[in-house]
Amino acid sequence: MILKKLYITLLVTVICLFSTIIANAAVYIDSLGRKVELPGPPKRIISLAPSITEIVYFIGLGDRLVGVTMFSCYPEEAKEKPRVGSYSEINIESVIMLDPDLVIGTADGNKRSDVEMIEEAGIPVYIINPKNIDGVLHSIEKIGEVCGVTIKAKALVSDLRQRIRSIQKRVKSAERPIVLLVINMKPIISVGPDTMHNDLIRISGGRNMMTSTRVSYPKISMEEIIKIGPDVILLSSMERGGHFEKAKRDWLRWPTLPAVQKGNVYLIDSDLIDRASPRIIRGLEEMAKLIHPEIKWNESE
Amino acid sequence: MSRNKYYRITPLRVINLAVALSAVLVVVGFVSLCMGPANIHVKQVLMLFSDSGSIDQTTWMILFKIRLPRILLAGMVGFSLSIGGVVFQALLRNPLAEPFILGVSSGSAVGAIAGIFLGLSIDLGVPFLSFMGALFTIFLVMGIGRRQGGLESSTLLLTGVIVNAFFTAIIMFFISTTSDTRLHSILFWLYGDLSQSRYSQLSISFPIIIVVSAIVYVFSRHLNLLVGGEDSALQMGVDVELVKWLLFLGISLITGIAISFSGIIGFVGLIVPHLMRMFIGPDHRLLIPASALGGASFMIAADTLARTIISPSELPVGVVTAFLGAPFFIYLLKQRGSRWVQN
Repeated sequence: MILKKLYITLLVTVICLFSTIIANAAVYIDSLGRKVELPGPPKRIISLAPSITEIVYFIGLGDRLVGVTMFSCYPEEAKEKPRVGSYSEINIESVIMLDPDLVIGTADGNKRSDVEMIEEAGIPVYIINPKNIDGVLHSIEKIGEVCGVTIKAKALVSDLRQRIRSIQKRVKSAERPIVLLVINMKPIISVGPDTMHNDLIRISGGRNMMTSTRVSYPKISMEEIIKIGPDVILLSSMERGGHFEKAKRDWLRWPTLPAVQKGNVYLIDSDLIDRASPRIIRGLEEMAKLIHPEIKWNESE
Repeated sequence: MSRNKYYRITPLRVINLAVALSAVLVVVGFVSLCMGPANIHVKQVLMLFSDSGSIDQTTWMILFKIRLPRILLAGMVGFSLSIGGVVFQALLRNPLAEPFILGVSSGSAVGAIAGIFLGLSIDLGVPFLSFMGALFTIFLVMGIGRRQGGLESSTLLLTGVIVNAFFTAIIMFFISTTSDTRLHSILFWLYGDLSQSRYSQLSISFPIIIVVSAIVYVFSRHLNLLVGGEDSALQMGVDVELVKWLLFLGISLITGIAISFSGIIGFVGLIVPHLMRMFIGPDHRLLIPASALGGASFMIAADTLARTIISPSELPVGVVTAFLGAPFFIYLLKQRGSRWVQN
């Protein structure tokens, strides 16, 4: 009898012990397949890229951010956060000084050596690696999970997916025009097939003009553009104001282009389409409206 | 001995050489006009000269508004950089001299990058600032390199190297603090980019370059004497200081103009003059026209490769010039040695 009691007590203790460990400590696998061990939900987070900053704010954990990188300009409050360098040149010392319990970075933005140095200082680094829109949504969910707000993040992502589906539904039966996305005017640089931008064009119901190249961001000649003749030209620009009018006038010099004939030369906010952040869905909506002006976007489905 | 190698240059020889190399230039230019991502048949290009009414608008636009201005710009840049190389090598009596070594190019680059940052127009604003950068650099280098009232070659060279290093640091500073798309413009500018050519730019720079080159050519005999040493040139009645100042300014002007429209294109100013020297000898009366025309052909060929090799994408032309130029140059040096050294 006594033995049985002892046995039960022991079992309960063990279960209790285990459950506290499970509740507080956890091991996550990041997008590079690395193990990231966290003792509990992070309270002091450092983001190593503007897109990550946006994601952390999006899932409602902006107040836990103790450090961000340069060019973290969205949302407005992010501008007030301490800076730890730019995403390509992380200042390791300021990262350590801010005493974070989690650092979130990106695979193709941050330097591997920077990540390793931060980890050597005993700070866990979780790496995301979004390659397309689905990857962005997935990264949002993963960050939510790591930060202990799994359910909220999943709900937010499901809203985003709903918005994507709504676009897909509307453009499904429309014609797919050839789209030239210009990310730099002089020289002309466009986007190749293995980029997030290509994904955006595809989902918004267009065809990327630059599909026959393996270069991610190819420099192309005017000749190539005239040869193919895009139906829509989107100029992605960080420069605001008068520059667009001037850039547009530059394009009007080529009257044989279908896009020019139809008046389909538009500006698109580069922040909305360049960043692997939740705002990319807004970029997607903007782009779909520009590519398909014939669809009545305001009417409900 | 040093006078012997100059004595048998007749005007006829100069004209023959110029005509031959011009013919090469025209052929290279024509081939380049026929090449590009859009498949335009040679027949269609030839039709332009006989019966241009029958050509469709797209083809006409590609040939005349895209390829031709680009070929002309490439030719102009090769022409200017090569003359620049010849004259700098002679003035500094150093086989390594070219517009880059005196800091002209990096000064010009800093100007251009400043222009890109200020958001100036790439058609005129950026080239203008880059030209001012080149001019500022040459005055700076010549001001510092001035010793006891005269320009001293070794001091000039050293000053150029230091000024170069300083400007490179400024460029690196700009690059490492930029993340947005301006970085593309800057990087392509640093590797050379001829895709932005417009007739309006050419119409300003062509006359200046022709006039300055003609003036430089007038001094080719003086350059021959200067290569033999400043003292002996002085004894032969050359106003060494005046000639040096004049040529430095003239060359900085035309290389500054060229670089301002093309970005930095390495190797041309070094390779072309040396190649020509290997073939036709060191006399500047032949060397200047030969380098200028040869440089133009080389540049057009290099740019044609740059825009066709990885079509539909393009390479920066500086990559092609260095990639082709360096191994070929080493081969020739091994084979024939530098005539310069043998003198």
